[in-house]
Amino acid sequence: MSLLGMFWNQTVCLLQHFRGRKNRCYSLAVRAVRRAFVYASKARKAKRRSMRQLWIQRVAAASREQHMKYPALIHNLLKCSVALNRRVLCDLSITEPRSFQSLTALAHARRTEGLRAALGDGAEPPGVFSRITQLQ
Amino acid sequence: MSSFSRSAQLFSSHKQWATFARSWLLIDARMQPPGKIASVCSVRLQGKHKPIYHPLSDIGDHVVVMNTRHIAFSGNKWEQKVYSSHTGYPGSFKQLTAAQMHQKDPTAIIKLAVYGMLPKNLTRRTMMQRLQLFPDDLLPDDILRNLTEELPQPREIPRKLSEYTQEERDAFPMLWTPPEDYRMK
Repeated sequence: MSLLGMFWNQTVCLLQHFRGRKNRCYSLAVRAVRRAFVYASKARKAKRRSMRQLWIQRVAAASREQHMKYPALIHNLLKCSVALNRRVLCDLSITEPRSFQSLTALAHARRTEGLRAALGDGAEPPGVFSRITQLQ
Repeated sequence: MSSFSRSAQLFSSHKQWATFARSWLLIDARMQPPGKIASVCSVRLQGKHKPIYHPLSDIGDHVVVMNTRHIAFSGNKWEQKVYSSHTGYPGSFKQLTAAQMHQKDPTAIIKLAVYGMLPKNLTRRTMMQRLQLFPDDLLPDDILRNLTEELPQPREIPRKLSEYTQEERDAFPMLWTPPEDYRMK
């Protein structure tokens, strides 16, 4: 039940791919494994950030294909109270292109209504998509 | 979901093959600002116009730019914009204006612009290899055969006065009515 044995038994699968003597010699390996664990912990937080960044890039690309910009799409979907998050929008844009196209059409309609209401007199009612429904 | 797995790329069904294909795009740079052309090129070379984008996937397209000799800088940039280079040896600091650069090599301005707009990593060189620049609209046959799509020009070219018909010129509203004894030059 040596500590040395326990260390190698538990970490050999982790440090097989390390470079140089870090995969063989105890003192170097201990330091390398501790760094690796620290990097892994930091990366678990960073993974959520990079995932969201990738979703945003993909949704922006897909919306530009539909002649709409990403900020306009997100803001107008929010105004229509469509609560789809970026992960779902990204997956729709890849696997369900027609659904994504209809979402961009919805956002575009809401946007034109908003622009018309802002630039107009306020005499005519805004439009169908800007109607706010009350939950019973 | 398949947000972060490359399984879609590993399956070799015919639909996936078509989605991940690299297409050849053409853009005409006649009377266009080189920066706008370069930004359109860099987006397509990285693959950022595709919803399946990932920085590691290498899904950029080929971009062919023709008529780079006829690009149009706005303002006084032909005389004021300076391209500097230094080889590292003492006394070898060269500064060329955009006009001189264009004289030396008609494709250099767009090439440098695209190079600066691509991400500064190891994939930049491969993306630059996928960019083809031609000073005139004479393209070699093998590239002509590969082309699939023409991209719209970023700037709408304004018409010259000589391109307006006499009817359009007469129909244009007068800004002021000159008095009877006014002499037009």
